[in-house]
Amino acid sequence: MAEVTLTIDGKKVTVPAGTTVLEAAGGIGAFIPTLCHDPELSKPGACRICVVEIEGMRNLPASCVTAVSEGMVVHTASPAVVDARRTIIDLLLASHPEDCMTCQKFGNCKLADYAYYYGVKKTSFEGERHADPVDDSSAVIFRDTNKCILCGKCVRVCEEIVGRHVVDFTYRGFNTKVGPAYLMGLGEKETGCVNCGSCIAVCPVGALTEKNMGGKARPWEVKKVKTTCPYCGCGCNFDLNVKDGKVVGVTSNPSSEVNGRHLCVKGRFGYDFIHSSDRLTKPLIKKDGDFVEVSWDEAFNYVAARFKEIKEKSGSEAMGVLTSARCTNEENYLMNKIARVAFGTNNIDHCARL
Amino acid sequence: MGISLTIDGQKVNVPAGTTVLQAAQLIGIDIPTFCFEKDLTAPGACRICVVEIEGIRNMPASCVTAVCEGMVVHTDSPAVREARKTILELLVANHPLDCMTCEKSGKCKLQDYAYRYGVGSTPYGGDKHEYPLDDSNPYITRDLNKCILCGKCVATCNAIPERSVINFAYRGFNTKIATAMDEDLKDSDCVYCNRCVAVCPVGAITDKTMAGKGRHWEIEKKQMTCTFCDAGCRFDVNYKDGKVIGVTANAASPGRPLCLKGRLGTGFVNNPELTEQPLIKKDGGFVTVPWQEALGISPIIEKINTLKK
Repeated sequence: MAEVTLTIDGKKVTVPAGTTVLEAAGGIGAFIPTLCHDPELSKPGACRICVVEIEGMRNLPASCVTAVSEGMVVHTASPAVVDARRTIIDLLLASHPEDCMTCQKFGNCKLADYAYYYGVKKTSFEGERHADPVDDSSAVIFRDTNKCILCGKCVRVCEEIVGRHVVDFTYRGFNTKVGPAYLMGLGEKETGCVNCGSCIAVCPVGALTEKNMGGKARPWEVKKVKTTCPYCGCGCNFDLNVKDGKVVGVTSNPSSEVNGRHLCVKGRFGYDFIHSSDRLTKPLIKKDGDFVEVSWDEAFNYVAARFKEIKEKSGSEAMGVLTSARCTNEENYLMNKIARVAFGTNNIDHCARL
Repeated sequence: MGISLTIDGQKVNVPAGTTVLQAAQLIGIDIPTFCFEKDLTAPGACRICVVEIEGIRNMPASCVTAVCEGMVVHTDSPAVREARKTILELLVANHPLDCMTCEKSGKCKLQDYAYRYGVGSTPYGGDKHEYPLDDSNPYITRDLNKCILCGKCVATCNAIPERSVINFAYRGFNTKIATAMDEDLKDSDCVYCNRCVAVCPVGAITDKTMAGKGRHWEIEKKQMTCTFCDAGCRFDVNYKDGKVIGVTANAASPGRPLCLKGRLGTGFVNNPELTEQPLIKKDGGFVTVPWQEALGISPIIEKINTLKK
């Protein structure tokens, strides 16, 4: 592929033709802020926070949608660029609630990060502010459109990756709002939302947050533990968010090989069983009509003895094994060994084949 | 022989004279505090640490209430939560909502407790302070609009008799922490030891030298012993992305936690002109030389080497 050499902040860099200025800058560690850009999604070049100065160009182009060209000279942090970015943040803050104190996103919010980085303490534009009611109708997704900066990432992830296209832009100008058809609550069945939460994973601000994590922990208080989802054989990875030894939520881990940041409703939101008081953590055996807690040794010995008894009494063919899609391949392999070698039967099947 | 009491259903035995707050902390119960500081006299002023004690008429501040035999304490009952929520709403009523860019964000007790008790906004409209920012000196930024009047800065400063730079001034809504004659810090006897910065629970007193350099959750801290004198002060060096961005005190006491040298002398760590090899001026220019030459021990080393042979 043809290569292009350009200069970014005084550093020469050679990249394949077609690379964007943003990608080329990322390659040499030059920091360019982004709000609407996402490497997995189409590029609208909408938010303009990634503008850079390119010598010979009339105005400041958005680096996420500007391809490199030979001999280009780019400045990613010149006074004009910093000034433009400050104005963009200033305009976004003109209608953004000042509730970082309790906002669930704070600590992981791009708007707050950039406002701090560029020293925009408050907006200089006074005027109308959005006062939409919050959408609390979904069981798992909390939507506060007052905090939305209209980057459109939730719209694109829902359409381009999840393939649902539940939300999109509605109305025009100041009234522009992202929402489901007829601006129904996300919890309404008719919206077609499957509660996968991919929109939360891409939202750069506090407009979309995990409802069940609300009030439980700030991002800087949690320890993230990467794990594999136990619900099916796909092997999706995500981060368990742990505070004081308790799982308070699940967030995407972009380095997950199988699923990236995408998860289904079960993986992302089905973790409440972990600390459920109903959860069995010790084996039980029914003795005299009541379940009694026993040791694992006793439980295994009991099961093995009963299997042996059945095999001796009624023969191998009296037994069958049905394994689960929630088991790993290794566990399913072991079940196969138990059925064919220990039980001596080919009666083995798997729930995912039904 | 200790005193036995029950806190949130757990039995605990502590020595007489222990406060309810200390007893609760012993069994891992986290009671919020603003004005309480382990090494300072407890004023019992902020009331955020109130608890419910069976048989006591109203809710006492746990930081100044001594335990007594058979006491039954509830630290998180609905009444306690409601009282704390009201205290927070009253504090937020006159507090700037600029957490987005506040240097203290992420390590601010007011923010932490507002989040914990769900105080997103205040129901109390009314006057708000509009004090000018005191950033007259190069070391400490004072924003009295954020002050919650816990008095910890006053107590820690007054613990050193020859300093005692700040104290409460005026009354009622106009109460503020001030230097003598309410002047800027630069015109006071302040030596910028930053004891007040170390104890401030909110963003009222912050380290100016670290402003804009990193959020608390981005900072990694490593404890070190100061190399500037033999007093052996310990402090935390604050790193962001592997670079030193500042120094903070481990604790406000005992004694003076850090002098200006200890706190500001870290600049040389990132100095691009820092040299790792000795230099000797030869013909008007500095030339890199080996340590033997710089220290003038080449002849001695040579002699040792001949002796060895």
